[in-house]
Amino acid sequence: MTAGLKTIIALSFVLAIGFLLIILSSALWQNYFPLLVAATYVIAPLPNWICSRAASHDDFMESSGNGIVDFGRFFTGFLVVMGIALPALLAHCGIIVFQAMVMSIFGGLLIYGTIISFTMFFQEEQDF
Amino acid sequence: MSGHRLFRFPKPAWLNSANTRTAGVYTAGALFSLGFFAFIDAAAFSKSPKNGSDPPIHINFVDWIPGICSALGMLVINSIDKNRLNGDSFSYSGNGVAWKARLVLFLGFALMAGGLAGSVTVMVLKYIVPDYPFPTLWFGVANVVANAMIMLSSAVLWVAQNMEDEYTYNLAL
Repeated sequence: MTAGLKTIIALSFVLAIGFLLIILSSALWQNYFPLLVAATYVIAPLPNWICSRAASHDDFMESSGNGIVDFGRFFTGFLVVMGIALPALLAHCGIIVFQAMVMSIFGGLLIYGTIISFTMFFQEEQDF
Repeated sequence: MSGHRLFRFPKPAWLNSANTRTAGVYTAGALFSLGFFAFIDAAAFSKSPKNGSDPPIHINFVDWIPGICSALGMLVINSIDKNRLNGDSFSYSGNGVAWKARLVLFLGFALMAGGLAGSVTVMVLKYIVPDYPFPTLWFGVANVVANAMIMLSSAVLWVAQNMEDEYTYNLAL
């Protein structure tokens, strides 16, 4: 139980650092476009979760052959790359500066890594 | 089974695992996103103050047509159930379902190839023939990159979905 507690504390710490980087990259230059990166990474795991709920589990080969699950995975991959491509786009078009781009990409990756490792650590408790 | 192989080297075993299939679907999404944002980047750059072309060159609707064709083709190709393709021997595909599936699939591939060819056409006619320098030429290059990425993403998705059939086949035996 203490291991789970340590994991939760470490993950929340990393999550806070990620949000700090993104908010700093917005607020330092008074330009709030990098907040879109945080929004992208927060909604990135959602298609997977929703589509795995919508999939039918009555098959005995449940890990394969479901178009809805594939659509969710496709959309998640789309959103993850979007979180990197969006700040690069904004920096390339002169909307945000280069340092803000680096900070927001790094913060976004920290946020997404937190979400992914959280679901990986606490997945087996939801099993039935 | 091994006596009926056509090629000398067998397909590697990791190609049939479910994890490879999942990774393939994720990769397809990532590739699609890469192409999509390459083109969105060009479109945003053409309206940004960094666009320094002297008579201002912008991306207009002509540049969008190949990308729309490619995306539509990808949608058509991947919304077809692959099991219907080699049908007609199964009982459920009575009234020429395989023929219809092949027709729709042909339309999808034609849309996609037309998108790629159209992007090259737009790049050559709009940006290379008037001999524009590079920040403007990027509009055409990004168009080609976007369409090629959409095509690659569709190919990866196709391979991943066919992989699933092999996997379930192995599981069923």
